[in-house]
Amino acid sequence: MPTWIESITRSRLWRSFFRHGWPDNPLDRSLVMTSNIFFHLHPVKMNRKSLRVTYSFGLGVMVVIVFGILSLTGLLLMFYYTPAIEHAYSNVVRLQTQVPFGQLLRNLHRWGAHLMVILVVLHMARVFYTGAYKPPREFNWVVGVVLLLLTLGASFTGYLLPWDQLAYWAITVGTSVAGYAPLVGSQARLFLLGGPEIGQEALTRFYALHVMLIPAAIVLVTSLHLWRVRKDGGLAANDAD
Amino acid sequence: MAQVPNKVAFPKDGAKTYSLVELVKGAPTVMVEKGPDNTVFSFPVVALLELLLVLGVSALLLLMSLARNAPLEEFANPTLTTDPAKAPWYFMGLQEMLEHGHPTLMAVVLPTVMVLFVMAIPYLDNDRRGSGRWFTSPRGRKLTWNTTLYALLAMPAFILLDNAFPPRELLRGMAPDFIAQFAIPAVVMGLIVAAPVLALRRQRPTMREVMLVLFTMLFVSAIVFTVTGFFFRGPGFRLYWPWDMPGGYSPFDNL
Amino acid sequence: MQSAEHTIKPNAIPRRSFLNLAFFSSLALLLAQSLAALVKFLKPVPSGGFGGEVYAGRVDEFTVGSVNRVLAGRFYLVRTEEGLLALWQRCTHLGCSVPWVDAEAQFHCPCHGSLFNNLGEVTGGPAPRPLDIFPISIRNGEVWVDTGKPIQRSRFDAGQVTRA
Repeated sequence: MPTWIESITRSRLWRSFFRHGWPDNPLDRSLVMTSNIFFHLHPVKMNRKSLRVTYSFGLGVMVVIVFGILSLTGLLLMFYYTPAIEHAYSNVVRLQTQVPFGQLLRNLHRWGAHLMVILVVLHMARVFYTGAYKPPREFNWVVGVVLLLLTLGASFTGYLLPWDQLAYWAITVGTSVAGYAPLVGSQARLFLLGGPEIGQEALTRFYALHVMLIPAAIVLVTSLHLWRVRKDGGLAANDAD
Repeated sequence: MAQVPNKVAFPKDGAKTYSLVELVKGAPTVMVEKGPDNTVFSFPVVALLELLLVLGVSALLLLMSLARNAPLEEFANPTLTTDPAKAPWYFMGLQEMLEHGHPTLMAVVLPTVMVLFVMAIPYLDNDRRGSGRWFTSPRGRKLTWNTTLYALLAMPAFILLDNAFPPRELLRGMAPDFIAQFAIPAVVMGLIVAAPVLALRRQRPTMREVMLVLFTMLFVSAIVFTVTGFFFRGPGFRLYWPWDMPGGYSPFDNL
Repeated sequence: MQSAEHTIKPNAIPRRSFLNLAFFSSLALLLAQSLAALVKFLKPVPSGGFGGEVYAGRVDEFTVGSVNRVLAGRFYLVRTEEGLLALWQRCTHLGCSVPWVDAEAQFHCPCHGSLFNNLGEVTGGPAPRPLDIFPISIRNGEVWVDTGKPIQRSRFDAGQVTRA
């Protein structure tokens, strides 16, 4: 290692950030994982069996990655979007035609949302077919089903925001289904839409759900999900003989 | 407190710096005769794998976004319904089911039962053996593929038959709606899903194998219904070939 | 100590259990209150717009047997031999707008193919009940429809037609 790098990594400033040395030995490689907030979800060492591509296909990790991309692109889209029925549509048109990379950003967000739903479903199928829901992982499977429902909710609430014909009628059909639930159905629909038909109140409510409530819930429940993966002994592949 | 006799199990030899304190029963903590250590350091191996996945997924999404623009139709018009009007693609399975029975059954009862069943799977099958292996056993793998094949035949057949001879229309005015739209579809669909489990009873399946069959049945059926609703339903929500839609409609307009 | 023990009745609740009960029941009450307030807060506040009385036109504009769309009121005004019927265009199946198709001489819902005749009765498709109707009042030969009070019906009968 050049001495100038060494002088940086040995400085008090650097060592106040990173509490490990250069990771070229087992001790520091362990410390990278345990002393870094982003890495500490991982164990220090991992079983090769759980890293096999044909076991997990990396689907769960990919869901987290796509969710990150969606959060980032969604945040940027918020700079050009107003959740008002007079402005929403023209904002999207302006984003696509006048804002540099606006169309690309919207495409990334849209296709990312579809990809996330597909990946979550595939991840669930993978966990089921490898028997990874079996004890002691029962509860984490239930948490996973909740995350699937949250993902569908996030995608569905976002569908209304462009306020075009596609959005309006897809949400009309989708929310009318809720009205058929016995006893609470019509009330649930009323609370979701904020009125008898889709209008400004529905757009406001869907916007709040889409940009704040559901993403926050996904972050929280995903933390629980990943924490339980570690507590239950990592991937089930580790237990297989 | 009762008096505990202060008995020394292993008397200390004053001439030695070490002594025997206690005997512990159980497996040794050292990795003697446990096979080679099959682990790798998460840093940098796993960290690099994850970085590669980030790059790969981003590249894939970027390619998709460059290849095709997100759809944007005309300004929302509450007085004019688009033809066809479709829910987002992941709810097209539900919308397709709505075509084959009463909304309360198809949109509320069956989805609720399905979600509750899926949540209950680990509590129904709580045998720890066979975890972490694809399909658990060769027999499980065979059962899964046979069930997939069966569902791929039975569900499209049900959709086509119900479309050609809908009890709702044939019995309109003759039987109450509850029979035509609720009881008949519920019994028919229930039988289709339960048939492979009943056929399996002779072979004394394990709980895991029953779950494999039921989950595969639901999973493949959900895919069949979603694909039918998304690709094969055209104007008027009638069945067409995806490449032969009237009026210039393309299923991909609805993405 | 001795005398204090004697004053406690044998069936009395111990102080600790009583305080525990009081504390946790107050906590439950507080949570229930907050939840009730949240539900009340989220309950939609009624607002204006579509939902008032809509002027459809003069009675003699509508010929017998015609089906006339009134855009502002989101309904169809049907003139039969007996009188007038205002059918809400909202499909009773999943809420799509049902257009009247002249070529087929029926209402044909594009969402799931529900069919209704000119009286709003279901003739095909998955709709569970006939199209909802709005009350009609005729004043000085003008037809007014109250779109704020949709009426659900399980079948058509002659009493639903407003004489004209």
